[in-house]
Amino acid sequence: MTSTNGLKSGSNLEKVFRAGHLAVTCECGPPKGADVEHLKKKIQMIKGYVDAANVTDNQTAVVRMSSIGASAILVQNGVEPVMQMVTRDRNRIAAQSDLFGAYALGIRNMLCLTGDHQKFGNHPFARNVFDMDSIQLLSMVRTIRDEGKVNSGEPVEGGVKMFFGAAANPFADPFEFRAIRMGKKIYAGADFIQTQCIYDMPRFKEFMKMARDMGLHEKAFIMAGLTPLKSVGMARYMNRNVSGITIPEEMIKRVAGVPKDKQADEGIKICLEQMAELKEEEGIRGFHIMAIEWEERIPEIVERAGLYPRPRVD
Amino acid sequence: MEKESHLYATCSAACPVHTDTREYVRRISTGDYEGALDVLLEVNPFSSVCGRICHHPCESQCRRQVIDAPVGLRLLKRFVVENTREYRIQRRKKVEPVLGRKIAVIGSGPSGLTAARDLAMLGYKVTVFEKDSMLGGMLAHAIPRYRLPVDALQEDIDDILALGIESRLNCEVGKDVSFKDLRKEYDAILIAVGLAESHSLPIPGIGSDGILLGIPFLWDVANGSPPTLGDRVMVIGGGNVAIDVARAAKRLGPSQVIMACLESREEMPAWKWEIEEAEEEGISIMNSWGPKAILEQNGKTTGIEFKRCTRVFDENKRFNPQYDESVTTSLDVDSVILTIGQKANLDFLKETTVGVDRGRLICDRESCTATERGVFVSGEVMTGPGSAIQAVATGHDVARAIHHYLETGETLKLPQESIETIGELPAQTAARARKFDHIDVRLTDASQRIKDFSPIEPGYTEAQALSEARRCLACGTGAVLAPSAQCAGCLTCVRICPYGVATVERTASMPAQECLTCGLCAAECPAAGVALARFATNRVKETLESILTDCSAEKIQRPLVVSYCCLYEATSRKYLREQTRSEIEETGILRVMVPCVGRLGSIDLVSPFELGADRVSIIACHETGCLYTGAEELLERRIQQARRFLDEIGVGGESLQFFRTHTSAEESWPQFWRESKEDLRATSAA
Amino acid sequence: MIVADPKPFQEVRGFLENYRKILILGCGTCVTVCLSGGEAQAELLASGLRIAFKKDGKEVTVLEDTVQRQCEQEFVTPVLERVKKEGIDAVVTLACGVGVNFLSDRIGAVPVFPGVNTTFYGGNVEAGLWSEMCAGCGECITYLTGGICPIARCSKHLLNGPCGGSEKGMCEVDPKNTECVWQLIYDRMKLLGRLDEMRNLLPMKDWRPAMDGGVRRTVREHIYRLSYKSQT
Ligand SMILES: Cc1cc2nc3c(=O)[nH]c(=O)nc-3n(C[C@H](O)[C@H](O)[C@H](O)COP(=O)(O)OP(=O)(O)OC[C@H]3O[C@@H](n4cnc5c(N)ncnc54)[C@H](O)[C@@H]3O)c2cc1C
Repeated sequence: MTSTNGLKSGSNLEKVFRAGHLAVTCECGPPKGADVEHLKKKIQMIKGYVDAANVTDNQTAVVRMSSIGASAILVQNGVEPVMQMVTRDRNRIAAQSDLFGAYALGIRNMLCLTGDHQKFGNHPFARNVFDMDSIQLLSMVRTIRDEGKVNSGEPVEGGVKMFFGAAANPFADPFEFRAIRMGKKIYAGADFIQTQCIYDMPRFKEFMKMARDMGLHEKAFIMAGLTPLKSVGMARYMNRNVSGITIPEEMIKRVAGVPKDKQADEGIKICLEQMAELKEEEGIRGFHIMAIEWEERIPEIVERAGLYPRPRVD
Repeated sequence: MEKESHLYATCSAACPVHTDTREYVRRISTGDYEGALDVLLEVNPFSSVCGRICHHPCESQCRRQVIDAPVGLRLLKRFVVENTREYRIQRRKKVEPVLGRKIAVIGSGPSGLTAARDLAMLGYKVTVFEKDSMLGGMLAHAIPRYRLPVDALQEDIDDILALGIESRLNCEVGKDVSFKDLRKEYDAILIAVGLAESHSLPIPGIGSDGILLGIPFLWDVANGSPPTLGDRVMVIGGGNVAIDVARAAKRLGPSQVIMACLESREEMPAWKWEIEEAEEEGISIMNSWGPKAILEQNGKTTGIEFKRCTRVFDENKRFNPQYDESVTTSLDVDSVILTIGQKANLDFLKETTVGVDRGRLICDRESCTATERGVFVSGEVMTGPGSAIQAVATGHDVARAIHHYLETGETLKLPQESIETIGELPAQTAARARKFDHIDVRLTDASQRIKDFSPIEPGYTEAQALSEARRCLACGTGAVLAPSAQCAGCLTCVRICPYGVATVERTASMPAQECLTCGLCAAECPAAGVALARFATNRVKETLESILTDCSAEKIQRPLVVSYCCLYEATSRKYLREQTRSEIEETGILRVMVPCVGRLGSIDLVSPFELGADRVSIIACHETGCLYTGAEELLERRIQQARRFLDEIGVGGESLQFFRTHTSAEESWPQFWRESKEDLRATSAA
Repeated sequence: MIVADPKPFQEVRGFLENYRKILILGCGTCVTVCLSGGEAQAELLASGLRIAFKKDGKEVTVLEDTVQRQCEQEFVTPVLERVKKEGIDAVVTLACGVGVNFLSDRIGAVPVFPGVNTTFYGGNVEAGLWSEMCAGCGECITYLTGGICPIARCSKHLLNGPCGGSEKGMCEVDPKNTECVWQLIYDRMKLLGRLDEMRNLLPMKDWRPAMDGGVRRTVREHIYRLSYKSQT
């Protein structure tokens, strides 16, 4: 069921987890076109500072370079990708086919998502697919990896050894169901979890407690999601417009309390404090830093968090 | 679609002649006073009289009273007769006695004259014998003039006589002409002699000088030769006649008029309002006292002694007074008028074979017959004391019986009337209806009115009548699902009905008993399947079509404004009257009077444009004037929707205008119409 | 029932440029109930068209009619005959899309235009408000979800619980008006004492019974093509 060395995929991320290190991932959004150079620049910024980087799949339903294509470029440039795949745009046929293609291109981690509704993107008039949800996608790809069968039951030619992840949002409702839903993802096949960015620490801790009560922290590697605040404006915007995110008022005040040109630094400082606090939280196995269009600060954050250099595990 | 409900409204059911109340009230509110008179006279030849003195059972049964107060139907009736005098004279017609048979009517009270009228209309030759110098019975001789002026009665009588009825005044049957002679000369005889005599009392002192009887007293008062009264007058009796006697006596100037009766205040048979008016006039009432003796000195009445009456009616509700002889009281009085009941004078039948039993005429009420073939009976001599309108009703009945007899030679058993009414207005429906103040008229001040016999009650002004007429719930003429309707049971009616009346069980149903006839469901029905008996909106279209096709398009003063107006806002007939073609052409305003513009459906707002209108202007009631809960909100939304639609179809939403009446219709409407026309010119110039 | 909304007037007007005798055909069932295509609406549209044509100086006859259900052979036959007899050269139907097809399949060379946009299968939640409640997926799974359908009522048709866009009971796609169906299901399962079942993984749905399996039809054998009926 696992590869010879006891690993499911042998990806760097998996190895870091299994060696007991706190893993670090970040986000690397593909360009809204085929601008490979731009992508390569981002890759250079983060190279060496993270164990793997998430490559988003038409995030917020805005059309971008495909996550497979961009992930392949990451592979070529020495950063391990976590390829995201959403069910919004592909049915089970396309999803399985893309999985095979991705694996063939050297991609070893995949994050299974349902995806943002197209209403939020630049093609709100498009038809969506949603042939399955993220949990069903996890279950399908796990079956391919572990049982060598596609969804219809037919055999897969050659093995597909990938490390599968899922997202969890402790801040959406109904709250009592959030840990259960994460559990469903884990039972369906998630090897690791990346959470929605954390601002409301007490709620997150409550969530983790529920997860631990269910033993979920022992069944998957849970990574705390973090997004450093760039400015008060951003904080307020997220508070208002991103559902499932509430930034506590004190935190906003704290950022607002410093001059405009220092707000970004303050945001990073808060982020680092959170990381310090979360390191102590049982069941947290790494950090997923979503510094959106702010990749240049990743090295600094990772260093200041005492997580640099990244371990090399063989 | 005019669909007559088979159920009686409670007002019509209560009326002994079943006057079509809803219809005459409707005609009043549409300004058709003449039409209203037609409705009245159809069943009630004494409409003028009833407009004054009817005890109006219709009002007592008016379903509006659970909401606020009954509709002032009697005064509306009076308004009609007072405002259609010319028309009434025009509509009189002589009917030739083509049937050749002759009928004698003894007594010219309301019942005798009603029968005479019906029979004359059928073509019989009718002769009325009246012992007095004036026709009308008690109406002419007993009811005091301050309540019923002579001219009001005269209008009714003139109508009746115009048919060609012969009347023999000062001709008492039994004295001036014998009953037997009448029998010989006439094919049928109607005894309608009423109850012209008052009962007396067998108590000590009753023969003293100062004792009078009620009916003769009133008779003399009415005939302008009132008897001399002492300064302190006691009236015995607690009924309406006693009240009339007391009030008439009061007008003759004594310093004190007191009434005494056996009944407690609550038991008094007189109408509550009559008692109150009497008291206002300074008449005091002693309840629960029975006359024990008249006190006299030298044959002159000096006082009266009473004993306590402990009970008037027994367990079986029969009149059976009990007294406590130990409790007495006495008063000094100069005159005592006894008004304790009436009886007929049947002396003229003495030497005939017509059956009389202990002073009462033997008769069969179901066939209105006496014991002899060809002799009929009606009015109070048959029924006992009652009301004028009841006497009228028996007049109709007996006319039918006589007609049947003369045609077939057989007695007609009048079919038992079974009257199905729409029932009471349920309290929960009433609670949701809007209240509207009943329009009351102010009687002349009591201090003024006791001075003479002038009428004390003013009639409604036109504005008052129109305003009161709108209060009519038009019971039973509300929403009906048309038989052809494709009711999908969509529940829209249920959802918008302001009164919670509409229900859906497979298809919609708006029970007549509850429907308050606002018409909102008809306006909103997506299947266009709800019809209104009282005002079907499809009539708007028909009217428009006929007018617009009739008017020559070139002559119309453009822009042509179709103006839907809330007819309830009219305070005169000015805008209620139908417009002439030339008026429409000259003004370019086509009025459509609607009982609540809230019932105009979207199609009503749009279709005038199709029929040639340039603009539609809706004039609703006052800000707080709407009769119907919810109508304003629904109309507003419908107008918004229609405006959007008019925008879409290229007519422009602004062509649909909305106004609310302020001050009066007569004042504000012309201003709205000017605005409608000007606005359009401005936009068309731009 | 099927819910539909009236098409914009000008769109309908646009279909009718070249016709002289047009029938506006209301439908007496679903579209009557949802106030978009019953007799009253047919009258209104017909009146509007007459006004618009007249304004444009066009001589066009616009007729109106309403049948009980336009999705039934027996109910539409009289209309088809009328169209033929009266020389009607275009029909605008206010029925749902079924009516448009049903007529088109039978009416010969006369064009049939839609007068409404058919939107969804829904229920009347309150006066004047209809809400989607079924997607006609062909294989009802609501027995698993407390009787509440996540396919019809979740913006993403999720089968295993609410996505991250569920906030305070509302769906992020339309937070003002649309409830998160998974919140509803959660609450209802709680009410029914079935919360435990929320942990179960619902497998991927077989979409064949839905429209993905091709055009659907249903036969009721017991009355389908009765031999004695086909003889006559
Ligand atoms: C004082 C008073 C007040 C009333 N107030 C009201 C009221 O407010 N509202 C209401 O609805 N009703 C009222 N009534 C009742 C109403 O007047 C009577 O119900 C009605 O008049 C009865 O009509 P009738 O035709 O039976 O007889 P009457 O009206 O009594 O008429 C009988 C007629 O027959 C004549 N007559 C009698 N014998 C002979 C004869 N032998 N030969 C020729 N003619 C004869 C009489 O002179 C009389 O004119 C009142 C009655 C009275 C007495």
